[in-house]
Amino acid sequence: MSVDTAPRPVEQAPAPRGRRARLMGRAPQDTPAGLGTYLLLAVTILFSVFPLYWMFVIATSDDEALAKIPPAVVPGNQFLVNLEEVFSLQDVFFAAGLINSFIVSTVVTASVLFFCSLAGFAFAKLRFKGSGWLMLFVVLTLTVPNQLGIVALYIVMGKLGWNGTLLAVIAPGLVTAFGVFYMRQFIVNSVPDELVESARVDGATTMRIYWSMVLPAIRPALAVLGLLTFVATWNDFQWPLITLSGTDFPTSMVAISDLASGNYVIYRRVLAGAFVATIPLLVMLFVGGRQIVRGIMEGAVKS
Amino acid sequence: MRRSWSHWARAVAVGAVGLTMVAACSGRSTTGGDDAGSGTVTLKINFWGDFGLQDLKTKYEAEHPNVKIQLNSGEYNAQHEDLQKKLVAGSGAADIAAIDEGYAVQFRGQSDKFVNLLDKGAGSLESKYLPWKWKQTLSADGKTQIGLGTDVGGLAMCYRTDLFAAAGLPTDRDQVSALWPTWDKFIEVGQQYTGKTKKKFIDSGTNLFNPILGQQQVGFYTEQEQLQMDGGPKVAFDYTVKALQADISAKLVSFQADWDKGFTSGAFAVLACPAWMLGHIKETAPGTEGKWDIAAVPGGGGNWGGSFLTIPKQSKNVDEAYKLLEWLVQPEQQIEIFKKVGNLPSQPALYADPAIAEFKNPFFNDAPVGQIFPKMAQGLTPQYQGKKNGPTRVNVENVIRRVENGTLKPDAAWAEAVKEAEKASKS
Amino acid sequence: MSTTRAAPPSPRSAPERGTGGSGADERRLTWRNRLYRFDMRYMPYLMIAPFFLLFAVFGLFPLLFNGVVSLRNYELDDPTLPYWAGFDNFARLAGDEDFWNALYNTFGIFLLSSLPQLLLALVLASLLNRRLRAQTWWRVGILLPYVTPIVASTMVFSVFFSRDFGMANWLLGPFGGGDAPIDWRADKLHSWIAVATMVNWKWIGYNALLYLAAMQSIPRDVYEAAAIDGAGPWKQLWRITVPMIQPVVVFTVVLSTIGGLQLFTEPMLFDLNAQAATGGPNGEWQTIAQLIYKVGWKDLNLGYAAAMSWALFLIILVVAGINTWLTSRLSGGRK
Repeated sequence: MSVDTAPRPVEQAPAPRGRRARLMGRAPQDTPAGLGTYLLLAVTILFSVFPLYWMFVIATSDDEALAKIPPAVVPGNQFLVNLEEVFSLQDVFFAAGLINSFIVSTVVTASVLFFCSLAGFAFAKLRFKGSGWLMLFVVLTLTVPNQLGIVALYIVMGKLGWNGTLLAVIAPGLVTAFGVFYMRQFIVNSVPDELVESARVDGATTMRIYWSMVLPAIRPALAVLGLLTFVATWNDFQWPLITLSGTDFPTSMVAISDLASGNYVIYRRVLAGAFVATIPLLVMLFVGGRQIVRGIMEGAVKS
Repeated sequence: MRRSWSHWARAVAVGAVGLTMVAACSGRSTTGGDDAGSGTVTLKINFWGDFGLQDLKTKYEAEHPNVKIQLNSGEYNAQHEDLQKKLVAGSGAADIAAIDEGYAVQFRGQSDKFVNLLDKGAGSLESKYLPWKWKQTLSADGKTQIGLGTDVGGLAMCYRTDLFAAAGLPTDRDQVSALWPTWDKFIEVGQQYTGKTKKKFIDSGTNLFNPILGQQQVGFYTEQEQLQMDGGPKVAFDYTVKALQADISAKLVSFQADWDKGFTSGAFAVLACPAWMLGHIKETAPGTEGKWDIAAVPGGGGNWGGSFLTIPKQSKNVDEAYKLLEWLVQPEQQIEIFKKVGNLPSQPALYADPAIAEFKNPFFNDAPVGQIFPKMAQGLTPQYQGKKNGPTRVNVENVIRRVENGTLKPDAAWAEAVKEAEKASKS
Repeated sequence: MSTTRAAPPSPRSAPERGTGGSGADERRLTWRNRLYRFDMRYMPYLMIAPFFLLFAVFGLFPLLFNGVVSLRNYELDDPTLPYWAGFDNFARLAGDEDFWNALYNTFGIFLLSSLPQLLLALVLASLLNRRLRAQTWWRVGILLPYVTPIVASTMVFSVFFSRDFGMANWLLGPFGGGDAPIDWRADKLHSWIAVATMVNWKWIGYNALLYLAAMQSIPRDVYEAAAIDGAGPWKQLWRITVPMIQPVVVFTVVLSTIGGLQLFTEPMLFDLNAQAATGGPNGEWQTIAQLIYKVGWKDLNLGYAAAMSWALFLIILVVAGINTWLTSRLSGGRK
């Protein structure tokens, strides 16, 4: 950002007075937040939480509570009843959906971390012909929404015989351009060139260097990328719906949409299912919130 | 520190490969229903709503320890679309797939994708069926039978006696039937009811349109596959719009959550009731037991819906699937289903069976359903339902919904319905 | 990738250690030597290979193959049609009411969601940019919507916006006007608002964090310099902060364009029948992504669906371009 930042002569400023004066000229991040700021932030958080809270209210209610005006705003005591119904429905494979979501998200996350850090390391620290062009290619593909190839992807998976299996959902997620890009940026700054060079002189192979020097150095970045990938994979809906709907092993998201499209759509069930499928992510936010915040602030991309 | 890190990373990598393989294997094994080794066979049945199969499943599994039955109920249109998708994809269809008469022509046109039940000895069953029911799933050349009929949707009207009483209307089923010999009279009664109680009379416009269409000689399509909107569809559509203009509809979308709630909350007092609807009411509004009764449908007999069970060729267990299918259409099972969920068998000999003829449904105030519905079914002249019947119906229903929610003017509605139907016929 | 064939730059010549010695030693050395050369020359390619291979098969190839499919008759339930369709699919697109309706809806919902989303995110970011107690907690808190599955939140909103027992109508009760409750699924405006609300809820916090990151990298003396203008916090935001973080604003505009024009899950599950893909009885809120799904996997016409995908791709490119230009003009204005 090339902005003329040279401070102008201070004397020209009119003498400020009162509270306003204290605020003036101070960067916002040095300005203590006032009561108003806290209030507005609290309202924002309230808006963020409300749908989740209400999801829980409906998930714990019986049918009557839902057919009331004004709507119920206090959780009921039917959560276990509703949950039991969700899990025992024989035409919605909810338990399988949860397990599948775990399998898919874990495999995809592990694979993204491994392959993207490998490639990121190569682009950041190794010299090889064509690396510049190849990296440019990676950056360009960042902007292409690969959802647009979804019709052809379905045909490809059909030829492979993978449609309707978890492989169809896992395979396209195994690597991401963003992962390579993010890893490269991080490795460039966090692994000193001299360290790599001296390891070479000591006779360490490239893989050895990756394994014992790079990986430990980029743990924070792996945590960030891992969390973001897991959340995005868990929440993915369109492609799993296309390839897995109507099978006995959907992902949890597809299973929820099945709950919402049968002949008996019962919202307390739908939302009990939705709530259960949200819990793992709430736990991740609670445990890894700091990392997720950091990852996004470093320029994560919407998936 | 470093050491533990690389251990961790290695574990993740190994775990990833392992899980991929697990996923791959689990993905594969489920495409076939045969769990090799244990010798048991899993048969999957796809259908919609309630086919009354729950108890029968238990019974069959007890008698056949090597068979496991998996019941999979979905949404009506979605199940048919899914079956079509699986048929062209070449795999993934259920071992037994239910189809509705509205989609029968579409699927019998692809008879090469279904097991020819005549090869399995189903020919001996022909004489037991209502002749038109048998023909509905027979291929054009008469050589392939893709499905065996389960139920027919003979029409009647279900009404809430408590709400009728509150509006000062008679509650006795014969007197109620006498209230509405025609659909015009029916709409008048609705206006009376709505005027008195300020509540709505019927559930939705589409649930008026479908039964009236079912009463017409010709439906959307002629037997030459010509879309003919000016015949039956026009009659049904006009009555529907008239009812909507009289403001007697609760404007609910059928088979959706709010509609289901309406059964309990009394959002409407009457709805068209093919035999298969009884099960749905019982299931959604168990608390209203005894408050319902069944009267005759205005305008004489009619049919709305009715299903078949088919075996897609993709099934890995065709023989076991046929055994189950044949068992399911036996009188004993059909009677069981009738008593349980109300679906009326399509085998006329059963109508004389005391188990059906004398059956009174306690949920519906002991209405003699074993008399009401068979009488309807026997007098039926079936309607031809074209190849694009399913999508056409969906499109016209959507036009009705737009009139209902006020975004389409009633006088412009018919032109729109014709346009939408033509669109579907060409899709 | 053909580039991998090219000769690699010669690495620093292989170490010449251990000259002389027995033949066995020599053989070991050459072995080591080869290993080293291999490691230097080819290892980098091996390391990036998994990414490029997987991406080529499951990312790039489908995208290109999509183009081929769009020129074909690919109707799953009618294999009798001729193989090639030429530009028939595209010609049909031009006259397809459903497509134009979906395009209109997509843009309508996009406008109703992206503008408030980004403006509110800016305001929220500037609130978070103060010196706060429990700073991390606030930031994590506004990310709740981001981690919540869209499928789950859409189901909640779907109940929220229901006609008869919905909370939205109850809250609006006093202001709703008229005795008939609003049917949120009956007309374009209301359904668009409902769907846009879901999108806004999901992405405001996320965008706020992107803005916050950029705001914190603004040098402090910029604000000192501004003191002479006598700018209060509000003016400070619009006249200093926003122009300074302009690149990020452009970035978020591009992101929300790409995301917004492909909107699928929210409109899909807002339908009373979550798998109908019609977006209301008259396609009131059917988006292009939804229409592609319907054409491809309900009508089973994959060729036509592929053509639609290409059209959508081009539209995204054009709109993203226009938006980038517009945003740079608008937010860059002063200074």
